[in-house]
Amino acid sequence: MNTFEFWGDNFPQMLAGMGVSLQLTLGALVMGIPLGLLLALGVSSKLRLLRWVCLALVEVGRGAPALVVLYVVYYGLPVLKLSPEAMTCAYIGLTYTTCAYTSEYIRGGLKSVSPGSIEAAHALAMPGLDVLRFIIIPQGLRVAIPSLMGFAIQIFQATSLTYSITVREVTAVSYSVASQTFRALEIFTLAGIMYAIITIPASWLTNKVEQRLTLRH
Amino acid sequence: MTETIAETQTETVPKGRYSGKVDIGLKTPKYLVELAQVSKHFGSNHVLKGVSLRVKPGEVCSIIGPSGAGKSTLLRCINLLETPDSGNMVVAGQYVDLGKPQDRRALLSLRRNVGMVFQSFNLFPHLTVMDNIALPQRRVLKRTEAEAKEHGMELLERVGLADKADSYPAKISGGQQQRVAIARALALEPKAMLFDEPTSALDPELAQEVLTVMKEVASSGMTMLVVTHEMNFARNVGDHLVVMEDGAIIEEGDPEQIMSDPAQERTRQFLAAVINH
Repeated sequence: MNTFEFWGDNFPQMLAGMGVSLQLTLGALVMGIPLGLLLALGVSSKLRLLRWVCLALVEVGRGAPALVVLYVVYYGLPVLKLSPEAMTCAYIGLTYTTCAYTSEYIRGGLKSVSPGSIEAAHALAMPGLDVLRFIIIPQGLRVAIPSLMGFAIQIFQATSLTYSITVREVTAVSYSVASQTFRALEIFTLAGIMYAIITIPASWLTNKVEQRLTLRH
Repeated sequence: MTETIAETQTETVPKGRYSGKVDIGLKTPKYLVELAQVSKHFGSNHVLKGVSLRVKPGEVCSIIGPSGAGKSTLLRCINLLETPDSGNMVVAGQYVDLGKPQDRRALLSLRRNVGMVFQSFNLFPHLTVMDNIALPQRRVLKRTEAEAKEHGMELLERVGLADKADSYPAKISGGQQQRVAIARALALEPKAMLFDEPTSALDPELAQEVLTVMKEVASSGMTMLVVTHEMNFARNVGDHLVVMEDGAIIEEGDPEQIMSDPAQERTRQFLAAVINH
């Protein structure tokens, strides 16, 4: 069986694994980015306690490797008499890493909003929450979009770490194929190609979006 | 410190100058904007040294003076974008004790009555021209989207920019942006409008189109306070002229009178410098 036949035979289960990877990425982003926004607002808060708690969450989340976060969740939750599935642990761990990182990108975006437009909104008698919702957050998020897209690519790659907590994503599938067939080089090459097929166009898209956003302003 | 300033001020104040007490007893106030002894420090810098000023309804009050005189700060104190240290004021019938922290609702109701136009336009860059005008109406006046847009279109026609409704601010000229900013402020139907050097960031030609709009707003009966370097506007459109220097009003009165025969030597110097430049 040559390499292409070998790839073809294993492609269906590899594709299923990739499905899991994409699902994890989407879940981490959908849950993590809104939480990141909340953390960004918390870190910028005037309330000292809130600011410190949020800052601690962000710094720990950014400081600890994603793999360590996954292990802490996976081995930590049972200690609390909870026994979530591996997939749930993966969602929790990746979401935490995502919200910690994205909060910093979003905070940078929020800080870049021109003080003039904020002042104008205040002068127009818009209440503080409205200023945040309609003026600061939309402008700040727009600035953060390219770095958030860049991060999305990174967290997609980081889903491979969930292999270590028994999630059957594409790296885990590759590993089990390799241990059954002893054709590790070939199967991991396929895995690499499959990751690249997603990440390379995603990087192009990120650049395109970045250019468009710079043109607009 | 405050006493000394008050004393020196009464001495140098020309005849007929307002002494600096807010009249809060009147049911129909004679003045739409009334400031009394407004004082403000930035750190150790005393930028407003107990300024008192009265503006009648429908009056166009121009504020001139060298940079650093405190003109913009004074204007920004009126809608509380700056928080003065002390003094009090009545704006559109609302009394404000400036020495105290302001209640949120009082602050919003004050700002609702006072529109402001900035030197740097300050449009919302992520919204179209129409949305710039419609959003505050929807959020502040609780108008529906349709009402806000209809009203917005009328205002855009008034400032001659109906065809730019769907453009983004970055795609239109500075003069056009400023006219949109005026329309945006007018959309909330304010009782008074504050203009903070509205044409300073513009070429003379673009400044002219903004001044034309301001003139039209003035002729509609709007009460206006205008910090400006446009002496022609102050002279021809303004009803009242205030000359500030070093955090105080040094002279005020009829624009024509002050420009042709200033009472203060400092005013004379300033006018000579701006008119001959």
